[in-house]
Amino acid sequence: MRVLNLPDTFSRVVLFGGVYNNHLALEQLLEESRRLGAEAVFCLGDMGGFGPRPDRCFPYLQGDGVISMAGNYDLSIAQGLDDCGCGYTDPRDNHFAQISYDYTFANTSPRNKQWLGTLPQAVRFRLGPLQIQLCHGSPRQTNEFLWESNSPDHLLWQFTEECRADVVCCTHTGIKWMRELPEGRRFINVGVIGRPENDGATHVWFTLLDHQGGDLVCRFHPLSYDYRLLAQEMREEGLPAEFVETVLTGWWTTCLEVMPGKERRRGKF
Amino acid sequence: MATLPLRQPPRAEFQRLETLWFQITGTLCNLRCTHCFISCAPDNHTLEIMKTEEVLRYLDQARELGVKEIYYTGGEPFIHKNFFQILEYTLRFFPASILTNGLLIDEGRAERLAQLSADSPYTLEIRISLDSYDEQKNDSVRGRGTYQKILAAYKRLYDHGFLPILTVTEIEEYYDPEASQVGRYDKYVQLLRSLGVQQPRIKIIPVFEMGMLPSPEGPKLVSQEMMEDYDHARLQCSSSRIVADDGVYACPILVGEAPARLSRDSLQESMRPCDLYHSACMTCYVTGMTCKNY
Repeated sequence: MRVLNLPDTFSRVVLFGGVYNNHLALEQLLEESRRLGAEAVFCLGDMGGFGPRPDRCFPYLQGDGVISMAGNYDLSIAQGLDDCGCGYTDPRDNHFAQISYDYTFANTSPRNKQWLGTLPQAVRFRLGPLQIQLCHGSPRQTNEFLWESNSPDHLLWQFTEECRADVVCCTHTGIKWMRELPEGRRFINVGVIGRPENDGATHVWFTLLDHQGGDLVCRFHPLSYDYRLLAQEMREEGLPAEFVETVLTGWWTTCLEVMPGKERRRGKF
Repeated sequence: MATLPLRQPPRAEFQRLETLWFQITGTLCNLRCTHCFISCAPDNHTLEIMKTEEVLRYLDQARELGVKEIYYTGGEPFIHKNFFQILEYTLRFFPASILTNGLLIDEGRAERLAQLSADSPYTLEIRISLDSYDEQKNDSVRGRGTYQKILAAYKRLYDHGFLPILTVTEIEEYYDPEASQVGRYDKYVQLLRSLGVQQPRIKIIPVFEMGMLPSPEGPKLVSQEMMEDYDHARLQCSSSRIVADDGVYACPILVGEAPARLSRDSLQESMRPCDLYHSACMTCYVTGMTCKNY
């Protein structure tokens, strides 16, 4: 696993995952990050899937102040694998995952595929006095699903020990959460900006980490974007109506079978 | 005199202990299903009911070792007289899953389960077994009258806020390989929707040709050559173990099989590579990690 060790010490950073080709939300995110005074913006991976026109995201991701790492999707696209490696086990989930993967693979330029292949799979930096480590699924497995209700405290603690980090951040599941651990340590799932988080709202989420007043503050920010325009582009590209419905309603219609019952009960499907 | 060379079975790498199962009621069950891979029955004492303090001791070991989730199976887990006490302790520290036939889930138990789930930050998953959307076919496998009781238990849990996972074996294909399975998944969706279930969860799993269901063609085994370039993480035994009353075994399917027992009393000791010696290993090799929920 390639780890990028940044020499920098930051005091305010923005973190997000799961772009899923949502270039409209990504554009908004960068604007919002500037407005919030973030010194760096970290993308925890999964650039493709779900949304339209993959190549539109790359100029943003390759811009100044954005540090990207690879998720399972990016590793698959870069290596030309047959599927996204998301880790679904249900036939219906896999059916829809394959549609988005084939579409994303066919519509990502060779140059951008090559760039995805250069990304690290973990990033380390300092936030004030704290050591932060970013991963995609979990520190031990790129496509591990760490949901709030299936991640026990002792395991998260073990991850912080193994990473020698005060704060470990992941994404991959699509729903944000944060756990406070002993000795002031934290484990954070930073959420995704590619699709809403199955709560019936159309906005998406990112995470702000702040260490200015002596304490670490972790804040989840809702992010609005032109979801109607995204839905229109998805229709133009012939993407499944099920995906469009999620963008318009905020309810997941696919990828549901890997979700624990506690999270799924909050959704509609 | 020439002797036949002994076949050396391939080994599965051990990666980490992520999932821990408990054969909590041994081979004791209130049903006697015709396809049970360990022949559980009301009078099968091959594996006994686990002592409560033993279960708790293993749970404490599991915490130390960073185990991610706990599964309870049997036999029928709800036969255990201290099952709720064990569940309460488990859910303080772990997400948990129960594999049940549903027959003992009455109103009172459904209510207690709902309370345990509400009091825990972790998910409590309940898997209920059914063997056909057709009442007669299910009852011919699981016993007369079970179909109605199973669906009633599913609905009861759903009404108490659970989204149980209806777990269906491919037993119909086993008995009738020619029968069409087109639209099978949708039939289970329709069945659950007919009960008023808005979020149906269905898991279809292979049958294991052992126990009550011997393989008609003799055992098929995994070979050394088959392991070349194979992703060991697909195998249950690369990241799971199951505890029974007499020790720790490689996987839930091989529980009670002497060559699969990796320790008499210690999880730590069981965390080592194991032989893929059994025909069930071939099923796991082909179908991947199907015993887990997802």
